[in-house]
Amino acid sequence: MAYLATRNFLEDKDFVDKWLYTIRTGELDLSWMKSATEKVKPHQANPRRGLTYRDLDIGNYGFSALPEKVRDNRSYAPRGAEIPPGVPDSQPWVSRKSELWAFNTESYYEEAVSRQWNATTDIPWDRLESAELPEAIGKALSQLMTFLTEVEMIATDTPAMWLPRLNPDFIEVKAFIAAQAMDEARHTEVFRKRALTTGWGLMQASPMNEMALKHLRDADSFSEMSVALHLVAEGNVLTMFRFSEYLSPTDVDKKIFRLVMQDEARHVGYGMQHFKYVLEHFPEKREVLHAHLDEAENISFAGAAATELTESFIILAGGGLKRENIEEGIRITTIFNLKQMQEHFERLEKCGMPERKERSKLYMMYEMGRAAAEAAGIRV
Amino acid sequence: MAFYADKDYTQDQEVLEKMNQVMAGNLGLGWYDARTEKIKGRPRDLRRGLTYQDLDIGSYGYSKIPEYIRGSQSMVARGSEKVGKLPDMGYLLNRKSDVWSDNVTTLYEEAKSRRWAPAVDVPWTELDKKPLPHELEAACAQLYTFLQECALVSLDFPSRWVPLVNQDLIELKSFMCAQMLDGSRLLEAFRKRALYGGAGLGRASVSAEQGLKEWLWADTYPQGSVSINLSLAGLLLAVYRHVAAFAPSRVDRKLMGYAMQDAARQVSYGLGALRYHLQHQPAQAAAMNQYLDDTEHVILALLGSPELLEPLIIISGGGLEREQVKAGRLATAKLIRLAVREYLERLEAAGLSGRSASSRIPRVVERIEVQA
Repeated sequence: MAYLATRNFLEDKDFVDKWLYTIRTGELDLSWMKSATEKVKPHQANPRRGLTYRDLDIGNYGFSALPEKVRDNRSYAPRGAEIPPGVPDSQPWVSRKSELWAFNTESYYEEAVSRQWNATTDIPWDRLESAELPEAIGKALSQLMTFLTEVEMIATDTPAMWLPRLNPDFIEVKAFIAAQAMDEARHTEVFRKRALTTGWGLMQASPMNEMALKHLRDADSFSEMSVALHLVAEGNVLTMFRFSEYLSPTDVDKKIFRLVMQDEARHVGYGMQHFKYVLEHFPEKREVLHAHLDEAENISFAGAAATELTESFIILAGGGLKRENIEEGIRITTIFNLKQMQEHFERLEKCGMPERKERSKLYMMYEMGRAAAEAAGIRV
Repeated sequence: MAFYADKDYTQDQEVLEKMNQVMAGNLGLGWYDARTEKIKGRPRDLRRGLTYQDLDIGSYGYSKIPEYIRGSQSMVARGSEKVGKLPDMGYLLNRKSDVWSDNVTTLYEEAKSRRWAPAVDVPWTELDKKPLPHELEAACAQLYTFLQECALVSLDFPSRWVPLVNQDLIELKSFMCAQMLDGSRLLEAFRKRALYGGAGLGRASVSAEQGLKEWLWADTYPQGSVSINLSLAGLLLAVYRHVAAFAPSRVDRKLMGYAMQDAARQVSYGLGALRYHLQHQPAQAAAMNQYLDDTEHVILALLGSPELLEPLIIISGGGLEREQVKAGRLATAKLIRLAVREYLERLEAAGLSGRSASSRIPRVVERIEVQA
């Protein structure tokens, strides 16, 4: 047994007797009524939005009052409740606010809950009946969907793995992570469903990308995980979704990408706001994050060598396999690759890490790629 | 770092060459003729949309998942072609009957279609129009404090296990993610209710938390699932139903209605998973009985917690007057008997025959009496 309660309550005569006595006689103890907790009266700041977590940001119940290091609560008690001696230790790994907090965490969560969509019913699947795609496009689309199915489940596993390790006082972050897990499960579902409606089934796995995904999962700290997942990986995927929507061969695909984009933008938003927060509140962490970015960017670059993805993207972008299609596809894919890297560095800069460019090998590759593209007449 | 890439790819000539070849228009197209089944899934019932059940076809279907998932430890989507060197993700749950339930795809679809948002779907301001008497509001605040402790554990449980479940069990993993969202939504709703009433939060429960930790930290998924998905969710379902019936306000009734529908799904999965587990691993029945012998005391840790019992009595009776407390005790005693009976019925229905006779819980519950 991994944990045994300090008492076996069936064998605790005093406990059982007190319980039976209370029910039998109605002599209530009521000591909980004198809990030394704050009495507050929240109100809805905006009735259209309902009662939000931000409306509860009052006194010691609020997230604003969370200290940088949570020392008082390691149990399952909700933040602000009276914590009597004897509650167990929930064994959190992360009890430091700057390790996980993001500006606007609570709003990202509320948005996630209100914008849940349903991959089963919100996509007009019936319209695919009349949408026969040329073989090359159908297979390329299926290959892209196969890759995205692979990607999305790790984006579920990774934050989920961290959730129980977070101190229970960080309710809003735990809630956001739970909502993210659901978002990613829905993405896995929608991409799998789309692949299996093309007529080509799923295609080939992507070993190079899977290695990158394993890197995402096995980070040493929540912050490092977040930087690699929310900022680098999801940032790249967000750019990819935007391009994929543009390249979508049917309206159904466009709708899929629009919906996943809104979720992904939220995750990237959280990642950026956390990155900003950690750099501002835990400056010693900057070098650690640089080192982690060195690894994440290396792996991100390796992803470009996953030819099964790049090739399918080129075919989709160019509209087929003919020479002129491939040329056009390469032009658009080059722009996409460069855009992905450019946006990555822009995000880091906005979050307060402008010096990243000077240190990054990926940035060097970006500059070389951009120069080569411009020499070939491709403007980003 | 626990995992590093095997080399510096920005300096790797082979990778650079490969990329240059593709971007020069020399496509290898090794993936183009992937050796996978060619199917075209379509919705059977347009009103329901395209469900996972509609895609239960050939090698892609969940019906074809073998009992022992061998040779698949990576993130490859079930049914796609595996090539090259794929990473081992270290999954610990690779046996279908350790986690599966036949209703999991239906429950997942239901979880999505029954989504709700505590911020806007609960008529919070009605509490402003008709505030509750002090003792009732204090009892509600305490009850919702207790329920947050339970919701937190219900949230942590699927989160702990989902990364360890083999990727081939994708429908189940998706359902576990839906459970995570359910857990966080209940945590949110209970917190909002406790604080909106004006009484603040109450006191955490030592006995409940001790018990919840024992359940949450179960050694195996089947054990933990019985504890959290079946026992805890079953007890909470009974509590939600009870509070809905005696709800002091429309806000509480509405809230409990949502909580019931989420908890019912959890119980349904818990029961289905135990049934599937025992059907495919009958030898585990003895071990499961032993586990329940060891951990059933947690039911008492929860039901016997004064932080749950006393607010329930006050809410059920409508106040603290002598007659109200008496009515509350009668109703609460009935709730406890019902919750225990349902718990045992579910275990029997799942295949643990004889559990009602071997469990020590009914013998304690039989001793409950309510004096005039």
